[in-house]
Amino acid sequence: MHIRSAMLFAVALSFPGAAVAQMSRAALVKQSDIIFIGTVTQVGAVAVPEVPPSDRTVVVRVDQVLEKPAPVALTAGDSVTVETARAGSLKAGIQATFYTTGWIFGRGVAVREVGHEPGQSPVVTADAREAVARARALVNDAELKAHIQRAAMVVAGRVEQVRPAELAAAPTRPKRITEHDPDWQEAIIQVEDGIKGAQAGERVVVRFPGSPDVAWVGAPKFAVGEEGTFLLHKDSTTGSPRTMIAGRSVPTYTALHKVDVLSKQDATRVRALIKKP
Amino acid sequence: MRVGVIAVGVALFAACTGSERQVPPAKLAGGRVVDLIPLSLSGETWQDAEPFLALYAANPKLMAASAFTPNPGGSASATAPIFVSDDGGDSWTLRNTLPSESMTADITHAVGGNPPMLYAGILKVPDFPLNELKANDFLSPATMTLQAFRADIDQPFVRTSAVDNADRVYVGLNDFDAPDGRTATVDVSLDGGTTYTSRRIETRNTAGQNGPSIRPAVAQDHTVYVAYFGWRSNAGADVTSDVVVVRDDSGATGATPFRDLVDPSDHLPGRLVATHVTIPWSNAPTLGQERIGSTLAIAVDGQHSENVYLAWADRVGTGDIYTVHVRRSTDRGATWSGDLRTLTNATDASLAVSANSSVGLLYQQVTGPAGTSRWVTRLEQSRDGFATHQDVVLATVPATTPPFQFLPYIGDYNCLLTRGNQFLGIFSANNAPDSANFPQGVVYQRRVDFPTHRLLDGSGAPVAVSIDPFFFSVPVLP
Repeated sequence: MHIRSAMLFAVALSFPGAAVAQMSRAALVKQSDIIFIGTVTQVGAVAVPEVPPSDRTVVVRVDQVLEKPAPVALTAGDSVTVETARAGSLKAGIQATFYTTGWIFGRGVAVREVGHEPGQSPVVTADAREAVARARALVNDAELKAHIQRAAMVVAGRVEQVRPAELAAAPTRPKRITEHDPDWQEAIIQVEDGIKGAQAGERVVVRFPGSPDVAWVGAPKFAVGEEGTFLLHKDSTTGSPRTMIAGRSVPTYTALHKVDVLSKQDATRVRALIKKP
Repeated sequence: MRVGVIAVGVALFAACTGSERQVPPAKLAGGRVVDLIPLSLSGETWQDAEPFLALYAANPKLMAASAFTPNPGGSASATAPIFVSDDGGDSWTLRNTLPSESMTADITHAVGGNPPMLYAGILKVPDFPLNELKANDFLSPATMTLQAFRADIDQPFVRTSAVDNADRVYVGLNDFDAPDGRTATVDVSLDGGTTYTSRRIETRNTAGQNGPSIRPAVAQDHTVYVAYFGWRSNAGADVTSDVVVVRDDSGATGATPFRDLVDPSDHLPGRLVATHVTIPWSNAPTLGQERIGSTLAIAVDGQHSENVYLAWADRVGTGDIYTVHVRRSTDRGATWSGDLRTLTNATDASLAVSANSSVGLLYQQVTGPAGTSRWVTRLEQSRDGFATHQDVVLATVPATTPPFQFLPYIGDYNCLLTRGNQFLGIFSANNAPDSANFPQGVVYQRRVDFPTHRLLDGSGAPVAVSIDPFFFSVPVLP
């Protein structure tokens, strides 16, 4: 709630006159993966045969792409089918910044509107690129801050050892052989900077899936010598949340989200976000 | 030690098969191969492995396909995509209709009767529970409806049949919560997925579990066969297994289904087609960057349910890494042939039997010397139990590039189906646009430059080679 208020406040300061109905630009950006400036050319129509026309579909000529996933082929001059949030909200000739999510990918792109901001000039176009970039930075910071708040420990450090995890056997749950087995490993991290919940000089154990299986493709893997800033969560995944270091029983942590492993240089940004109200 | 054995195996195999590549593969009239990645995703570089295909009997234009293709929106997406075609496979679009974050961890699907429902079994991201799903209209952008779910499941494999106004759905799966380590299971729905009942099909002791592949096949007279690996013991990475087929003669509608085929050796349900085979279980890049251990397929002649074909892979132990075997029964599984086909260093065998009783065998095989080895995807057809067969090379692509992003590299399975006078299927392979790699020809939807063998993104910039799913159709032998 606090973060959202801050974001809304920041957006309001940046764009006091912007006609963003109901939602802040940051909120629009957060829900969008394809953002572009375009001009409505047809209403109740579609640009590709794969999409049925309706009173909610419009064809938009792309004037400038502001954000898109790398695989998506979308450039200025393309015609995009947009399913609008509500029928009749856009008329032919209107130029706007469209905040959208991918819907159907075929010969062309069809998207679903999250929202739009009207804009009618090259000056506004230039501003929009910068505004969207600022909003995306706000969203990324807010998401990272939420991850930091959920983390039990945040440290900057170096992986000094990787070893197979020896999980205590669960008597009611025998080990299963499956291609999705995570093959839990343990990375022992020498803490150089205890940012949250740890102190420099500590050694902490992070469990991670060593498996190359598709189920774990998004989970960070650790290697000896790797340095970074690590957002660590209490191990509630492996079913055996303790391990041994030098004869001592210690708790284990996990870092399963890609945001949980950042560069060493990101420690400064993380500290700043922690301090930020 | 294991690496050494594998390297020697590859070298021996290369020495034996090197000369086979001197003759260019033939082009078959009427065959086609289509890369599924649409034009608007020309920049994609993901490893789109483990493809699967579903056909609509009621409308030959409509098809659905899947692979480990992520939602283009990225890892934060709440849905995962399927591909659909409404023109018989000539073009495909991608739609985000699966309730799984960005991608699935397993997916298969099949079509019911009228109206043409699409049923899917997925392992959902995150946490990988089984989701049994249904879509009343696969062209709809709506998220598929969840019908049943539970945890601790592997490799859901969906088959369907239409009976009057209710679809029957059979989901073969490995259920780790099954009692006594007899994990081979078929979730059976007799009411279009409204309710499912888990039917345990293993009747013998296991090594604590069965293998992950549990494969149903349904004939028009509602005979249901299911093939599975009866894991009996394991030592290190090798599992000793039986290859078992069960049968139900009434669509698994009875109280104790899948008991209609008994083995003469112990009088227990489940015919032991092969016993004590060695399954090399390797979740590492072992065969052309692919893992191995779960290749299993079964197909029944839809109109003559006494004819059933079975394929599995094991390690024979004579320099091979992984060997596919194909056998046939002509008496409802009571007796089985010896190997009709024995294919060294092959995987991803899929079978289908056409309306004129031709059998199709799709498989992917590593050939050539280690440094320049190739994945060769073949469709073989036979009308005489493989005494003779027609061999069609669908693709022959480098096996060493691109490097794997995850496993499976091309898939723990692919898919072969049949309709009318066509075999229709899907496989995954290196997507370099080189005509020499696709002897039957190939159609790309995504942007490519054939003269330079380059993939291009929307702006014309080069795109790295990756693994794509390829749909194909080949005429059935007359």
